Amino acid sequence: MRRILTCVLLLLTGLMLRAQNVSDLIISEAVAEPDSTGIRDNYGRLSGWVELYNKSTGTVNFGGCYLTDDRTNLRKSLIPKSDLRTKLGPRQVVLIWCSGRGADGTFYADFTLAPGKTVYLVSNDGRTIIDSLAIPATLPAGLAAYKLATDIRQQHFEMVDNPEIPSPQMRNGVQASATNGELMKERDPHGWILSITSVSVVFAALAILWFLFWLLFDRQAKKKAGLSSRASRSSRGRRPSGSQDEAEVAAAIALALDMECSGEEYAAIATAVHLYLSDAVHDVEPGIVTIVRKESGWNNKTLTFRRLPK
Amino acid sequence: MEHIFQSLAQFWEYTGFANCAWQNLVMIGIGLVFITLAIVKEWEPMLLVPIGFGMIVGNIPMFPGLNIGVYEDGSVLNILYQGVKQGWYPPLIFLGIGAMTDFSALISQPRLILIGAAAQMGIFGAYLLALTFGFAPNEAGAIGIIGGADGPTAIFLSSKLAPDLMGAIAVSAYSYMALVPVIQKPIMLLLTNKKERLIRMPAPRVVSKKEKIIFPIVGFLITAFIVPSGLPLLGMLFFGNLLKESGVTKRLANTASGPLIDVVTTLIGLTVGASTQADKFISVKSLLIFGLGLLSFVIATTCGVLFVKLMNVFIKNPAKKINPLIGNAGVSAVPDSARVSETVGREIDPTNHLLMHAMGPNVAGVIGSAVAAGILLSFLG
Repeated sequence: MRRILTCVLLLLTGLMLRAQNVSDLIISEAVAEPDSTGIRDNYGRLSGWVELYNKSTGTVNFGGCYLTDDRTNLRKSLIPKSDLRTKLGPRQVVLIWCSGRGADGTFYADFTLAPGKTVYLVSNDGRTIIDSLAIPATLPAGLAAYKLATDIRQQHFEMVDNPEIPSPQMRNGVQASATNGELMKERDPHGWILSITSVSVVFAALAILWFLFWLLFDRQAKKKAGLSSRASRSSRGRRPSGSQDEAEVAAAIALALDMECSGEEYAAIATAVHLYLSDAVHDVEPGIVTIVRKESGWNNKTLTFRRLPK
Repeated sequence: MEHIFQSLAQFWEYTGFANCAWQNLVMIGIGLVFITLAIVKEWEPMLLVPIGFGMIVGNIPMFPGLNIGVYEDGSVLNILYQGVKQGWYPPLIFLGIGAMTDFSALISQPRLILIGAAAQMGIFGAYLLALTFGFAPNEAGAIGIIGGADGPTAIFLSSKLAPDLMGAIAVSAYSYMALVPVIQKPIMLLLTNKKERLIRMPAPRVVSKKEKIIFPIVGFLITAFIVPSGLPLLGMLFFGNLLKESGVTKRLANTASGPLIDVVTTLIGLTVGASTQADKFISVKSLLIFGLGLLSFVIATTCGVLFVKLMNVFIKNPAKKINPLIGNAGVSAVPDSARVSETVGREIDPTNHLLMHAMGPNVAGVIGSAVAAGILLSFLG
């Protein structure tokens, strides 16, 4: 039991870690030489910039990652770890200014950009290149090299050959004109892929539910029932528990539900079954139903007496 | 005098008699059949009476432009119809269903959940057939959900995927739900032998209150994380159930399972019925939808029963075998399909009560069809 729970916890932890993986980041756009109409940094300067995009559906913290323009020096410019602003929400973008002065702030890199350079985003291990963007040598000033998703829902980005006017802090993707249904018609004309996938998901969802309840409750309850059954068999004078009684109860409930009777009858049957199961009012003699008197506030005569003033 | 005749002639043009077409009369006839079936045969009266009367309301021939029809913006019927069109009513009905449903049968025998999954094959069987008949994938998905045997789910999904077909899909789903005893019984008898029908299942154990409270929370978290697109239905279903089982929100649970669901059922039935205007309803597509809807019920029932037989192959302990007669209950249609299991079971052994066992796959079917609807919505929406 413990082992299974540990496995489940590890699996969940793994999934959560995957959801926050920096590998979901891409360099979506870069401007090497901005013109006078370009966006300015927090110091009012015109600098080159790169745009990072989180294409996952979870928040990614890119603090601790590196940016570089040198393939041989992957740790050239560190993005500080301690800044909370390095948490990038799902499908969000952030600009890093390539001003050559990393000390200017969290979002400033220690190198400058120029046409013909390639900029790399490196993981926080300092070795793994997550993504790169090659700036064409012929990139005119004021234009951007960028990657585009032809269908933003698919999150598949490809480098575009023709440079465009920069679109800082905006997602580089277009909403596809084709509907999901039309796309599905192209990809799965006979419907087998969708059917098999969907059946698998339905089974998986309900199987997980089954497994959890079997694990957490059903197994425990059956163990308990087994223990109490053995205990009751060993003790004398007790009402024989077990399948016979339970079957009768189930039959009574089934009959009650099946009879389409009125609310009062439902209530009476339900009360009788409840009292029978809870063993509250019946004595132990088989076949004889007696009601054990129970005191309550409702039938306590002393409570209904009129109180005399003292 | 001439003016009076002119006025009368003008008035005549506004009457139903002057604007009547044979299609209107056919639809009014179908509405009357629904009402008759509901009153005389008592087949799903809560649904068939509003739908049947709605069909009559929607097919009264009228002069267009008076702003009274269900498809005319701003009319009273149109405003009420928005609940169907925008998908507000189905989640509210699911709230009520959740507040009425007792998941004990499912919790006490969790293995029966899988039967509810198997019966959802009807949805995808109908989806494949609909594609074969030339329907677009989104239309095929909306038609397929008829196999889930769940009216609100069918309305919810068709309003999102194929609003034009919603009337035919909703009427088809509710009609076949009413006909569950007629459709399922022969299939169950065909697929099982006497020995299998006589299987006695172990009595379900008593379920604690703690389990009943945890079930809607855990059930919601798991299903909603897997299929977030099913959130409106799954969220409301499990929320309603939590209101019921928590024991501290009885007033809310009573409202959800009583007045609220009654009001919404009345409105959804009436407006769905009214949306079946002859000019939009009578078509070859509608006939195909009815045919495919029937096939989806047949596939769902067949898969449910066969899946139980498959489970029995792997269950070695004879005392733990499952009676295949509860396989049909995996389609939602709560509680009618479970009643069919009970009735067919008692025909061969009057002391063998299957109702409580069948309620397990029955409520699992509700969850399963909502999950399936969510999947179809995410792929095709």
